[in-house]
Amino acid sequence: MGGELGSLVAAKLEAEPWVGALVGIDIDPPRRRLRKAEFHLLQPSQRERIVDVVTKFNPHVVINLSVWEPDARAGLAHARKFTADAATAIIGAAAECPALESMVVRSGIEVYGRERNSATRPIEAAPVHPTSEYGRMLANVERQAREVGKRVGIAVGTLRLAPVLGKHVPSPLGRLLRQPVVPFSLFADSPFAVIEDGDAARAFVLAAKLRLDETLNIVAPGAITALQAIIRGKRVPLPMVGPEWSIASKLSHVFGAPIPDHVVELMHRGRLADGARALDVLGFSPALSTPEVIDHLYAWESVVRIGSIQEAVA
Amino acid sequence: MAQLIEFPVKAAARAGNALVEPMRAVWPTHSVDDYGRDPHLISALAPFTRLRWSVTVGGTHHLPAHIGALLVCNSRRYSLSAVYAALALSEETERPVRFVGRPDIAPIGPFMRRIGGLLANPADVLSALSHNEIVLVAAEGTSHPRNAGKVPHELIGPAVVAGVSIYPVATMSSTIGRSARVEVGPAVRARRKRRGPLAEVELADQVQHHLQRMLDGFGGVHTGVAPIDWLAEG
Repeated sequence: MGGELGSLVAAKLEAEPWVGALVGIDIDPPRRRLRKAEFHLLQPSQRERIVDVVTKFNPHVVINLSVWEPDARAGLAHARKFTADAATAIIGAAAECPALESMVVRSGIEVYGRERNSATRPIEAAPVHPTSEYGRMLANVERQAREVGKRVGIAVGTLRLAPVLGKHVPSPLGRLLRQPVVPFSLFADSPFAVIEDGDAARAFVLAAKLRLDETLNIVAPGAITALQAIIRGKRVPLPMVGPEWSIASKLSHVFGAPIPDHVVELMHRGRLADGARALDVLGFSPALSTPEVIDHLYAWESVVRIGSIQEAVA
Repeated sequence: MAQLIEFPVKAAARAGNALVEPMRAVWPTHSVDDYGRDPHLISALAPFTRLRWSVTVGGTHHLPAHIGALLVCNSRRYSLSAVYAALALSEETERPVRFVGRPDIAPIGPFMRRIGGLLANPADVLSALSHNEIVLVAAEGTSHPRNAGKVPHELIGPAVVAGVSIYPVATMSSTIGRSARVEVGPAVRARRKRRGPLAEVELADQVQHHLQRMLDGFGGVHTGVAPIDWLAEG
């Protein structure tokens, strides 16, 4: 509930008439003003406290958004540890709640992997074969949720999100695309799709409301290539052929935008998925297309100087 | 006291604008579709493809106007018949026609994706067909231009699953000349109703048979010199 997506989901849930009480756990405090929700500031490693909070509340629905994308809010090692700890604690605690009917879990289209000859736009039934560290982390969360669902007999819905971008969402892809000079793969400028954070939050609310019991891809319509995104954002495109990507990613790290392996994979091999089933099952259709999400990403100021705001007000 | 080093963002942005503005004018910033096909690139390449092939297209009235369809064409080895047929049919029908069989290795694979290529993967074909796209599959390549090769039944399966019609497309092109012909035949109907995988195996055989009949109907080589025509017939 402390991350941007978590806060958005909580704010949207508060507005739903079917939601009675709401409890959230995160390592950061909420980023929005929540009126109804009760918040607990807990580390993913504090398993006993998490179990205590969750079992005492005894929810009907659990939404597990506690996925740390590498180099978004934490480096790879921390992201891996936080995600594994949180999944164990929250999914495990949910299994102990007698009132629990449904669990909705956040995953990503990174689980399909981008090995050679893998499907261009995988549907939900496509085999899970992650080829990046983030993909493996997500596949692990999905597996745990599925196993617990089977064991305690509850509905488990998994939402596989395209890379989430938004005005305040910490994302290595968003950060990279907003650099003044952006590398792209010259010989393989492959298309990718994204999803806006508001749309992703709406999908979670719908999934919780309808007690989703299957896996869905949540992807904004349309696609864009890295070069097209760079041109749209009026950044300087830096063509890369292959081996210099490792140098570029190290340099980018120095400039404050580390490029994890799943983002390098996206730039080389693209990342698309078929999100049509979400419309059939949830009645969900994203408000923004992929190019519009990219436009929104570039539409906000890097630094808003307080002086300039005061001048504008005056 | 620490000193804050600030990256010259404004200068970089100005340089970016100066560099990118001409590109924005020439190339649209959103021209790929959901599968990575780039209509703008295709129209930019059209003069070059016309230098290689002058394609006569027929029988497009058989094709559906809005729903998906699987087309199967014959293929002479190294003739790129699926590519020129897909480009010509796209132009004629004003609907994107995607060909199957792009490699998944850079730089050829990504380039072919931009001109409408899909992987020879049943999942890719099914995904496109279920979104009402027209997909063109090539039969196995043959050395003789008027022989239809074996039709891959594993790529016919997605059409059976998606419930779309299958159309034979006879293609003929010259190895050295520009002239090429693409003829779409009527939809092939399954002779028997099958519940299992025999449906696609039998349909693949039927499509090959239809293709062969269409190619036979094309007639042989007409150079005006009888002995050359006989030799060309093999």
